[in-house]
Amino acid sequence: MDDTRQRILEATYACVARWGIAKTTVEDAAREAKVSRATVYRVFPGGRDELVSAVIAWATLEFFARLYEQVRGAESLEQVMERGIMFAHRSIIEHEVLQRVMQTEPETLLPALTIESVRIRDGIAVFLEPYLEQRGVVVGVDLKEAADFLARMVISYMSAPGRWDLEDPAQVAQLVRAELLAGVVGPELPAR
Amino acid sequence: MVIQGAALHVVHGETGERAPADDAATEVATPSSPNRVRIIDATLACLARHGTLKTTVDDIARQAKVSRATVYRAFPGGRDEVLSAVVDTEMARLFSALGVRLGAADDLAGALVGGIVEAATRIKGHAALHYLVEHEPEMVLGHLAFDESDRLLAAASRFAAPFLARWMSPKEAGRVAEWATRIVLSYAIAPSDRWDLTDAVHTGHLVDTFVLPGIRALHATEVTTAIDITPFGSGRGPGAGDDPAPGSSVGTAAHRPIT
Repeated sequence: MDDTRQRILEATYACVARWGIAKTTVEDAAREAKVSRATVYRVFPGGRDELVSAVIAWATLEFFARLYEQVRGAESLEQVMERGIMFAHRSIIEHEVLQRVMQTEPETLLPALTIESVRIRDGIAVFLEPYLEQRGVVVGVDLKEAADFLARMVISYMSAPGRWDLEDPAQVAQLVRAELLAGVVGPELPAR
Repeated sequence: MVIQGAALHVVHGETGERAPADDAATEVATPSSPNRVRIIDATLACLARHGTLKTTVDDIARQAKVSRATVYRAFPGGRDEVLSAVVDTEMARLFSALGVRLGAADDLAGALVGGIVEAATRIKGHAALHYLVEHEPEMVLGHLAFDESDRLLAAASRFAAPFLARWMSPKEAGRVAEWATRIVLSYAIAPSDRWDLTDAVHTGHLVDTFVLPGIRALHATEVTTAIDITPFGSGRGPGAGDDPAPGSSVGTAAHRPIT
């Protein structure tokens, strides 16, 4: 059952990559997954709308699973955030399907992605908490508040770098260690 | 500075000359024509009730108590031109209100809190924006994601940076203005149940806790100003004499890596 779901989602993603979100139908997904339409409807009773939301959630999860692989070996809070921001930024730029959908039919993606972003934020915050705990937060700073704030900022920077060059490790280090973390764990300008 | 110029222009139209009698023969369709502002405000009222999809030129004319011809004379492009003028005008109004708050601030903390609260309050109280977020989210979200959000960040920080440059170098001011904009956007898109940025106490706490220490640490990493440790909030800081030309800090001088 889970297998079927996974297969349909992968097939739907392949259709979206080829034709975009608006033009992908339940029939396309079924054909690509080599299952019947009835099977798609059994797994996704809401039909096309549910399938589209599910594939956006699935692709987002895939994205963050790769991000998690990148950062889980990091030794410090600083390293987690630096690696995470750099990897996420690069992955977004290089994400062909995301970029194409954003160019051709952003209206089909953005509402769902905005809903996802709340879940993503909570996920990032929960991931950062043990690192914050280990590193120790400044007296008077609430750990959960700090994690939420940092998660918001990580999402903001990874999707729009603004004045920062997020390909440059030195700039990312400055952004993370000075701007983002100074208030949370205290100013740290260590030898690197 | 284009945006600031536009702000002054439009806002002048809003509060300047009185609206003329609805006499088509004497109307002049210039960007500052009071009819334009009247039509824009009427459109905002329509948007707050019906959104963009169901608002017609007829609705706008009726709401503004002018004729259709008057709408087309002020906006030859019709509905689309009115809608895009609405966006420009609302941005200009936001920026001009921000300019007042930022200009009146006595110290950096005051400028940041005042600016964030002003922006958050205007976003929260914007009836047309709320209708669109609720019923036509794609209209709004397109401006808040990826490249478009970069454009918005650039415009907002270009506008706010010269005000912040009273307390820091233009380069730092650009980054700090951008940071404040990110904070406003993040909490506007996904409000927090802990912090309400329209509340000066909440925003003050957030600024004191996370933003000011970050600014100090950023400041300490800048090679040009590393010697001066004038506390922020105590008057003119280092770099106050620098040229605060907008955009001058973008991608200039190689910055100093933390070593």
